[in-house]
Amino acid sequence: MSEHSELPRRSFLQVIALASAGLAGSAALSRSGRLFGAIAAAGPDDPEIPNEEVARIYRERFGGRPITRAHVQLDMPAVAEDGRIVPVIIESDLPMTADRYVKGIHLIVDHNPDAHLAGFYLTPAVGRLSISTRIKMKRTTWVRAILETNTGELWADYTRVLVTLNGCG
Amino acid sequence: MAHGTGEARIRVPDRIAQGDVITVNAIVSHPMDTGFFRTKDGDPIPAYFINEVIVTYGGDEIARFEWTSGISRDPVVSFTLRADREAPLTMSWKDNKGGVYTQSVNIAFTAA
Repeated sequence: MSEHSELPRRSFLQVIALASAGLAGSAALSRSGRLFGAIAAAGPDDPEIPNEEVARIYRERFGGRPITRAHVQLDMPAVAEDGRIVPVIIESDLPMTADRYVKGIHLIVDHNPDAHLAGFYLTPAVGRLSISTRIKMKRTTWVRAILETNTGELWADYTRVLVTLNGCG
Repeated sequence: MAHGTGEARIRVPDRIAQGDVITVNAIVSHPMDTGFFRTKDGDPIPAYFINEVIVTYGGDEIARFEWTSGISRDPVVSFTLRADREAPLTMSWKDNKGGVYTQSVNIAFTAA
């Protein structure tokens, strides 16, 4: 080996080292992506799980069960000018009968301090599913309405709301 | 809007026939402080918010809401009820400092 080959060889090794570090990094990223994905069992158009807090909510409340984007309508303004008062309407065509009903609605705001903003637990006595309220939003983010039936099925709708004035402080 | 904390109103339709699925609108006066704000003098405002709402109809619990301070000040909520019997509809709002605020409305049928 001549002196001259030393430099290219070293830089070649450096390139290899950098590349494997990069690969390790992206592997770690895709691993966490898969982990969140497995928790969410999300469809291709569903919003990704953005942070550990939302991942924890999914783990604790829904386990690894699939969540399907259907049967739920989450109505919110596309633009919320005042994040202190953002109207929310959640409706569903799922049955509310003695044997088949929605037992819980989970309202999740991805980037709020309390991401699991509210849970509404229902019985067939409500007759039909329509809930509305007003919430605070810290910033532009996805909002999720996830419904759980008495048989354990999970149905959802998602909407992204643009927030111009922080309503959480 | 009512001003005293815990003042509440429940509104149901004027005319209800047996079997109707009605919309119930409820509001309670409450600051719903998140704990993230300070007064003008810089003192922190502690978290103070309703964290549970229980709805009973003729004594049976028909709904329960789990809330955080992410619900707006003076919380409003509307939901449905199948009016299958004449009975009181009662809501209790509970806050994180032990406050309990209760309001009732009688579900009665109008003669056909």
